[in-house]
Amino acid sequence: MNGIATAPSERPEPPTQLQRTLGVLLRVALVLLLLYFFLVAIQMMGGSIKMMGKDASEGLFAGVNNPFAGLAVGILATVLVQSSSTTTSTIVALVGGGSLTVEQAVPMIMGANIGTTITNTLVSIGHIRKSMSFRRAFAAATVHDFFNLLCVIVLLPLEIAFGFLAHSAEWLTSLILGAPGAESAAHGGVHYDSPIKVAVKTAFKALQGLLQDFGFEGTSLAVAILVIGIALTFTCLILITKNMRTLVSGPLEHALNRSLGKSGLIGIVIGILVTAAVQSSSITTSLLVPLCAAGILSLENAFPIMLGANIGTTITAMLASLGTDERGGLTIALVHLCFNLCGVLLFYPIKRLRRIPIQAARFLANKASENPFWVLGYVAGVFIVMPLLGWWAFGKLQ
Amino acid sequence: MHWLHRLGPEAQSLNEIHSKFLQMIQDGRHIFDAAANALLGGTSPQVIRNDLFETDRRINRTEQEIRRQIVVHGSIHGAATFPALLVMMSLVKDAERIGDYAKNIFDLTKVGLDLEAGPREAALVPLKDKISKLLVRAHGLFERQDTAKAREFLSEVVELEDECDAAVEELLRLSGRNTSPAVLTYRYFKRVISHIGNVVTSLVVPLDKLDYFDEPRDKQ
Repeated sequence: MNGIATAPSERPEPPTQLQRTLGVLLRVALVLLLLYFFLVAIQMMGGSIKMMGKDASEGLFAGVNNPFAGLAVGILATVLVQSSSTTTSTIVALVGGGSLTVEQAVPMIMGANIGTTITNTLVSIGHIRKSMSFRRAFAAATVHDFFNLLCVIVLLPLEIAFGFLAHSAEWLTSLILGAPGAESAAHGGVHYDSPIKVAVKTAFKALQGLLQDFGFEGTSLAVAILVIGIALTFTCLILITKNMRTLVSGPLEHALNRSLGKSGLIGIVIGILVTAAVQSSSITTSLLVPLCAAGILSLENAFPIMLGANIGTTITAMLASLGTDERGGLTIALVHLCFNLCGVLLFYPIKRLRRIPIQAARFLANKASENPFWVLGYVAGVFIVMPLLGWWAFGKLQ
Repeated sequence: MHWLHRLGPEAQSLNEIHSKFLQMIQDGRHIFDAAANALLGGTSPQVIRNDLFETDRRINRTEQEIRRQIVVHGSIHGAATFPALLVMMSLVKDAERIGDYAKNIFDLTKVGLDLEAGPREAALVPLKDKISKLLVRAHGLFERQDTAKAREFLSEVVELEDECDAAVEELLRLSGRNTSPAVLTYRYFKRVISHIGNVVTSLVVPLDKLDYFDEPRDKQ
């Protein structure tokens, strides 16, 4: 099959089994190295804000004291970088570095969930010339949007009123790390870091020293580390996703082929596994769009895979929390997990509730296929205008 | 280390599509043999009817499965795989058409065909055997991706197509007896031969030239 459409003399020699195995091993090693740099980047972001001092960090994040402003910032940041993993990792770094509180960060995490859905919506627009395909593609893309929007509409007010996500995540953090201060007490008051954290801090300190040698000090040093940290996080996540996608493309294809025509839990599990492997829900959900457009995957069968993708993507924040100093990093990562789990439990098991995002997506897709201005209005409204207005209006309310 | 072989860009997916396509060719041979034997070999149509239609349904199902897998594969692996996938999309159609023509041949059993009516009618039996062998050889060539023997194969295909055309022309000029069943049989046989040829063409020509292995002859 390889090179089937080329003349015999032009066909490259296929790689041998040994070459393939070595290629895979090298790629696995590269991903591990990138994960290490990703953790270093998280440490750099958290550490740099800490270096700026309490006043500076409070000033930086004063605008997100209002939960709706935080939600808007989460959406906008994710739309800008087209990656919820980058946004949530940054949030984890900020909470883990003590610059943001868990309460401030929860709406931002919810916003990241909404913002990330713009990617597959944009992918679906590629089908706009073919009405039927576009209708299916746009419905497949926006069902994820509607699900995330509905989750925020239901869960954000509950979170503001009762803080149930933050409390649940704190309880889970205590289960994993023990009660606050317990670890130190167990080691006779001496703070103990895991080998990963030690390795991450060593790299961070080395970079700090290097920048100091170049004359960076005080605020300029903190800003330089922050900028490098953000750039490194972004780069590492892109490269991890790219390499993991190549590594797992075979099993991913196998899983997708098996999931066609199946629904429910299998889809959710596939969504979780695929997304956890490629570290990007956008990859998973964007892959489903052409399959739905071609009509080989129904919206009802794509929906659980998307829900699984929402859960699977939380692994990035969990990994990021390994690079933070404070337990808040893990707590906010667990908030991300709890939020997405609650969403699935809320909207999937009961058929009538499950149909809400599906019907909403179908309605919008029908409208959009009749008039493209619906597409423009929807994308601009949900992902740009509303968050900007929310940020502007609620950011002033302290 | 088995898990390692499942990772990586190549993985098993194209091999799976490849295997399913080979199964279609195998089923194509089975259904052709069944139909042609019912028409020319004296096998009772009633005996093979269910098997024939079940084989056709299996061919159609496999075609649809392959198409789905092609969309999934293309979505995951992107543009680099498109030429191979487009070729396969075209080939499964050829393999599926063999099943359709076999059913057309089988339908002729309703009117029957007198093999002793003339030399062209009698020549259908050895032609049937040659086509059956072509299908077996096409399967082998495609499995081994044997480009060297593919060219040899295609020249035989062109010869057999010419033989069918000559027979149709001759039968149409005859008067005094009903030659329609024989004409249709030659016509269907030629279509089966052409579709087998199309499959093997993919081994030796680039994507845009697919199906045009007999073009130089047409220009003459």
